Amino acid sequence: MVLMTGRVIGRGLGKLMNIGVGSEIIYSFVIIICSLMIYFGTKELYKLSFHKGIKYFRQAFLFFALAYFFRSFIKIALFYFEISELRNILPIFGSITLFIFMYFSSMAIFYLLYSVMWKKWESKSTIYFLHIISMAIAIIILLFQNPLIYFLINILLFVFISFTVFISFRQSKKKKSHNLYIIYLMLLIFWIFNILDILIPNFLQAFQLSIYLISLGIFILIFYKVIKKTG
Amino acid sequence: MAKRNKLEIIRDILKIIQESHSIKPTPLLRRSNISSSRFKEYYSDLLEKEFIRETYGKNKEISLTEKGCRYLEKYSAIVDFIDEFEL
Repeated sequence: MVLMTGRVIGRGLGKLMNIGVGSEIIYSFVIIICSLMIYFGTKELYKLSFHKGIKYFRQAFLFFALAYFFRSFIKIALFYFEISELRNILPIFGSITLFIFMYFSSMAIFYLLYSVMWKKWESKSTIYFLHIISMAIAIIILLFQNPLIYFLINILLFVFISFTVFISFRQSKKKKSHNLYIIYLMLLIFWIFNILDILIPNFLQAFQLSIYLISLGIFILIFYKVIKKTG
Repeated sequence: MAKRNKLEIIRDILKIIQESHSIKPTPLLRRSNISSSRFKEYYSDLLEKEFIRETYGKNKEISLTEKGCRYLEKYSAIVDFIDEFEL
């Protein structure tokens, strides 16, 4: 009896925490709009200053918008065909979409990291190197359909980026940059959750609503900080 | 005096031009407080980005374009933004 009640409650919670296609569209739409507004809202600042940091910051959010577009596209296709992996029903199309999503996702994070680190890493080849790494990540994910590989890649990404951000934070003399690095780390963590949500179906289903709400909060917070400065 | 960065030097050059309405290159170089080789770099950069224009009357004179005025208006916003996001 107790076990059955537990199962019913569990199923009810599962349904409550699960996201429908409508919510999926709204979630992606809000993040795409926030990212594009950050991109276009900072256009004048870049056109006037030609500052490389602003350039890479803008590109990060353009890539976030593109990545979320492809992410929502994959999610809607999964709902439509009622499958767990797009490659099951549309092998070539599904693989291309997944490749583009992974490439844009990795580049978005790398551009954001580079916007903070460009003075230390400045070299013409750095940005090409980051493009190559992003393509390599996308190819590995396509070739090895193994959740363990997906985990490993994302953990490596997390360790590398958080370590770089931590070093940069320790070197920074500004007190207020503390908040910014926390926001960027949160963005990275929840971005990885969003990627794992696509790569490993049902893995994070129980936490989907929380992941979506926190991700939305992070993007809206960054958007608010940008608007406050650009007017 | 602390070393000025690129954005500050551009602001200072544009401010000198704005205050004078139009100015000849030599006094601009003198008041900019940078070496002549660096001044040449900044000068051609500002011309290329259309922040300043040259007018030819009796002498060559330099004046601000609309984009140059906009830079001065938006300077604080640019610096604040770079500072806020550690760019």
